Amino acid sequence: MHTSSQLSAGYLREDPLPAAPPAQQPRGRCIVVTSGKGGVGKTTTTANVGVALASTGARVVLIDADVGLRNLDIVLGLEARVRHHVLDVLEGKAELDDALVSDKRVPTLKLLAASQTREKDDVDTTAFHAMVDQLRERFDYVLIDCPAGIEKGFQNAIVGADEAIIVCTPEVSAVRDADRVVGLLGDRVKITLIVNRLRPALVRRGKMLSVDDVNAILRLPLLGVIADEPGVIVSTNKGEPIALDAASPTGDAYRKIAGRIAGTDTSTPEIPREASFLDKLFGGQR
Amino acid sequence: MSARRIVVTSGKGGVGKTTTTANLGAALALRGKRVVLVDADIGLRNLDLVLGLEKRIVFDIVEVVEGRCQLRQALIKDKRFGEMLSVLPAAQTRDKTAVTENQFAKVIDDLAEMCDYAIIDCPAGIEHGFRNAVAGAREAIVVTTPEVSAIRDADRVIGKLNERGLPIRLVINRIRPDMVRSGDMLSVEDVCEILSAELLGIVPDDEDVIDTTNRGEPIALRAESRLAGIYEKIARRLEGEIVPFTQLNAPNFLSRFLGRKAG
Repeated sequence: MHTSSQLSAGYLREDPLPAAPPAQQPRGRCIVVTSGKGGVGKTTTTANVGVALASTGARVVLIDADVGLRNLDIVLGLEARVRHHVLDVLEGKAELDDALVSDKRVPTLKLLAASQTREKDDVDTTAFHAMVDQLRERFDYVLIDCPAGIEKGFQNAIVGADEAIIVCTPEVSAVRDADRVVGLLGDRVKITLIVNRLRPALVRRGKMLSVDDVNAILRLPLLGVIADEPGVIVSTNKGEPIALDAASPTGDAYRKIAGRIAGTDTSTPEIPREASFLDKLFGGQR
Repeated sequence: MSARRIVVTSGKGGVGKTTTTANLGAALALRGKRVVLVDADIGLRNLDLVLGLEKRIVFDIVEVVEGRCQLRQALIKDKRFGEMLSVLPAAQTRDKTAVTENQFAKVIDDLAEMCDYAIIDCPAGIEHGFRNAVAGAREAIVVTTPEVSAIRDADRVIGKLNERGLPIRLVINRIRPDMVRSGDMLSVEDVCEILSAELLGIVPDDEDVIDTTNRGEPIALRAESRLAGIYEKIARRLEGEIVPFTQLNAPNFLSRFLGRKAG
């Protein structure tokens, strides 16, 4: 059963034989990438997981919720193509479609950039939520890059999400902040964990927390572990997500994370191994 | 007597504000200055952890502002530095709107009567927490890493600090000289040119920081670490001494750079 308003607004004009009325189409998943602490890799994670999901053909939109300090456009190398941003859409100054930036490399990936010259307090939480819901009708995945902290920007970023990826580095301060964010997210949201910037050699020497140490406190389902390696910094500075690099073990780790999110990969996350003598000799190029 | 009031800020999170605050404070205290470190990251405090003082917190800055304790009662003395280094912790279970800019500035004014340096550890971002942290400051240290995203955020913060007329000095953190040499990382020279701010310090990426931070032990106390010497030099520059910048095994670009800037 569908109402006449759905019929007229939905498909009668263009689609003579729709498979299902719009209201019954499966909605895309909305996942917020968050951490509490800044600089642990939320934006890098959002970019790489988004690229990896979209590379499998899924329709993915990435939203930069860091109004005033945006960076997702840089990490994706799309900064020159941004014409409109989230606040333009929310304030009716631009159509949503005009604000979505298409990725150069992966056609099913879109970016909705944050405004650089405005502030998070300018974002209306209810309008943001409505925009996310609208995007979920059109995309398989809506990934939201949350700003650091637990203020207004965090509140906006989580409002439409029913899943969260916590990004945490193996540091006491990051674990403490992540734990606080888990508490704030509550039971409404399904939470998983990515441990980022692990240095296996330091863990072995007892100078860095291990993945088990981190998760003894956070106790979250582990989505993946990413090594601290120069390739990530290089790819970020160049605006070329490492998930696109077929030869990179870190890129592979992101692709597996995407597979676990999609449910196509049931393998247990691997802990990055130490670079061997040969790796060092060849500068990690394999 | 009135202290220097310095905010340590960055825009982007995770570039090393808290580590810089703790170690610069420690280096100044070791030089005989009375230092109070103020954690402005209400809700996500970490300065106490980095200094290993988390178990000794009784009162916090919100309780001071709300008149529920005396300012002196809330200060935690770091016993490793005698009477010289104390911390005013942030509240963990409140949020940044619990304190107004005026209230924050009043706390810093009061602290300035008790010490030589009040150093404020700013939260990430440019919202309420940032405005509080800069409200009582007269000088700013901007911490950045040689990454495009950190520099973009630092640039935005420098704009905001300029609006307030605060003098700004730059600490470039987590430089990896090998990556600079291979062209995979921006150089100190690149960063200074983009941000056009006076350089206060260059800190290499060093795994000792991870370990000492997790242990709550400022690296400035670990005399054998090269970073202890680097923070000491930053402290001396802050006090007005002219101290040459440490060569980070990258003579080609640094010597050019130093040739122009030193002195």
